[in-house]
Amino acid sequence: MIPERHEELAALHALGLLGEAERTAFERELATDRELQAFTHTLREAAGALALAAPMRTPPPGLKSRILAACEQAPEPASSQPAPAVPFPTARIIPWAMAAVLAVSTTWFGLKYVSLRAENDSLRTQQRLAEIAHETTRTQLAERSLLAERLISGLGTRLRRSEDLARLKVSALASLAGNTAEARAIAVWDPDQQAGLLTFEKLPATAEHQDYQIWVVDPAYQNPVNGGVFHVTEDGGAALAFRPDQPVTKATAFAISLEKRGGVPKAEGPIVMLGRLPGI
Amino acid sequence: MSVEADQPAAGDERHQEQARLVAAMARGDKRAMAALYDQLAGPLYSLTCRMLGDTAEAQDLTQDIFLQLWRTAPSYEPSRGSVFSWAVTLTRNRAIDRIRMRQRRAEILSTAAPDLQPSGSGGDTDSAATLWLREQGAAVRAALAELPAEQRHAIELAFFGGLTQQEIASRLGEPLGTIKARIRRGLLKLKDRFPTRP
Repeated sequence: MIPERHEELAALHALGLLGEAERTAFERELATDRELQAFTHTLREAAGALALAAPMRTPPPGLKSRILAACEQAPEPASSQPAPAVPFPTARIIPWAMAAVLAVSTTWFGLKYVSLRAENDSLRTQQRLAEIAHETTRTQLAERSLLAERLISGLGTRLRRSEDLARLKVSALASLAGNTAEARAIAVWDPDQQAGLLTFEKLPATAEHQDYQIWVVDPAYQNPVNGGVFHVTEDGGAALAFRPDQPVTKATAFAISLEKRGGVPKAEGPIVMLGRLPGI
Repeated sequence: MSVEADQPAAGDERHQEQARLVAAMARGDKRAMAALYDQLAGPLYSLTCRMLGDTAEAQDLTQDIFLQLWRTAPSYEPSRGSVFSWAVTLTRNRAIDRIRMRQRRAEILSTAAPDLQPSGSGGDTDSAATLWLREQGAAVRAALAELPAEQRHAIELAFFGGLTQQEIASRLGEPLGTIKARIRRGLLKLKDRFPTRP
């Protein structure tokens, strides 16, 4: 029993109405279906017979002779029969076959060798590039690490300076004598270093037999602690680093007295300037 | 090879004879070519006249077809159909090519399609082969006339007009599926009613 769908395809095929894709698909089915083949064959014959429905016309008299003359000039039909086969001894095939196999395998191995070599070169190049990239990265990292260290170091220094500055105690000393009314002095004290810096200006010059002497007042001692002696130049200005001769645990004030030359262990002369350390 | 063109056999015998002629042509036998011409020239020329609507062009195409049969005779396979249907298929394909190439399809159909009756202008002799073809032609036309008009019209447009399925549907103003169904039903009826193989 032919399905209706196949009947339709066979009818359209017989009249040459199928498109290329439909025709190919149908002929594929046709090749494996004997019943469909027979059915399509009868439809094709029926379609061919339709030619007889055309009004009967007699070909012109000269047409046959023209066609036969053209056949005389045309090459004879190409025979579809295959050329006779030439026997080929099997023994001759073996060496040729071996040679062919050898040639094919040699070619294959050669191509494989070239391919692998090219691949190896490519991988080496990639490795070298990777090494260069790694080295570059390492250098950059080292440079950045150094820079970071410098930055950290600088930051630490700044922090230390900040801490130092925070640790320093500053005192402005005021004049206590009429002859030093315009004098100004600033004492900076570093408790950790047990050292200080005294800057002053317009302090009256001392006589040859006299020196100024600085004292650090510490409640831990009954008398102020000696900070050292200094001379004043004609312009009345100078900067003096001083260090008490005894440990100072808590400086509360600085004083400058006028003493005999070389200084004294305990203040004897007049106090010309005095300054307290606030908050201490 | 013996050629008996003026005493055509009927049905399968005729088919087998034509197959033998083609086999002889494949071997270069020009007498076989002449004999096949005597059997097929009338129907093929008539078909080309009907399809092309131009006798000069029909003669030219008929000559081309027989030369093609001569050249391609070795490729003919009897198992795939009769010589007649093979020759008709070649003729239709070439005629359709010409129709499409010259873009004269509408003009040709308007002049050729209505005429299904034998033409009196043939001037052919009443040989046995001619009489046999006349009988066969009359039988085919009678079978066609028995078909419902819509089936006959679709088949004629396809066979003689060389139109595609879509072109037939468009021309008749019907869905494509309807046209396919009409062609299927019509050709199945013709298959059962056609008397013998030409």
